[in-house]
Amino acid sequence: MAQASSARSADFETDFWKDAKTRKVWDEIVPGEPRKTLPYKLTQEAVALFCKAVGETNPLYLDEAAAKAGPYGGLVAPPSIHILLMFACTPADDWMRSPGTVNAGQSWSYNVPARPGDTITLQARALDKFIRRERLFVVHDNVFFNQHGEVICSGRGQTIRPM
Amino acid sequence: MTVSFDQLKAGDGIEGPKFAVSRESIRLFCDASLDYNPLHLDDEYMKGNFGKTNFGGIIMHGMNNFGLLTRMLTDWAQPPGAVHRRLETRWLKPVRPGDTIQPTGIIKSKQVTTKSRWVLIDVMVKNQNGEQVAVGEAMVEFPVATAAA
Repeated sequence: MAQASSARSADFETDFWKDAKTRKVWDEIVPGEPRKTLPYKLTQEAVALFCKAVGETNPLYLDEAAAKAGPYGGLVAPPSIHILLMFACTPADDWMRSPGTVNAGQSWSYNVPARPGDTITLQARALDKFIRRERLFVVHDNVFFNQHGEVICSGRGQTIRPM
Repeated sequence: MTVSFDQLKAGDGIEGPKFAVSRESIRLFCDASLDYNPLHLDDEYMKGNFGKTNFGGIIMHGMNNFGLLTRMLTDWAQPPGAVHRRLETRWLKPVRPGDTIQPTGIIKSKQVTTKSRWVLIDVMVKNQNGEQVAVGEAMVEFPVATAAA
């Protein structure tokens, strides 16, 4: 798929099994410890591909002239772009890529929109971990910033870790 | 239809477009989100058990629901100059290729704060059988300046 390359860098490993052994299991995850993250330059191509995947047709994300006349004075990404940013800003050995990781719910707060051309950084950590009904949970704490140091969005989530 | 903060009332409904889920739509979401978890790619792997759960085949990314809900909220908020500020969701049922899902919302309440005005919305995504696959809550801000303009 030709468009597939537009959201990821050439060295992004799409086989999540490949680095599976290098990732922390539930036992090794330390709540409070910062996760290693990577800056990511958001491109218009990545925004357009994301929009296509969720059926977004809003001209604020896709039509430069319309976006310029709109409330943000230029193209922006949909708020849900953090779904992409979460994987784009974390390295291959990050435990969120462990095969079988199940998303158990999320909450996100939005401040300023991400824009194509932004270099986005992530501050992330596990904030808590617990066992419930024989399942291993981790609570995630994530904040995305743009290159001006403004908060784009902040989120809290829970995943069930593979056993 | 463009809404205004003053006219909105509890019980008012919001609806987003229907979304047809297919193996292709799930694969596209992998490429767009960089989430290549085998839950969404590998039928063989999905024949296995996850704790007490067996999905029986690949499932859609839970965050695809989140994306559809976001789209519904931003499309609704933008015309009156309101801003989508928060979305919380949890998943109730897996979504599979062949399903058709649709996001909806119901206004729960309004809140005026020191500097702004907020609409709280109960949101959900249902499948073609009317079963809830995701539920949550959203907050949309109606800035005061917009009303004065």
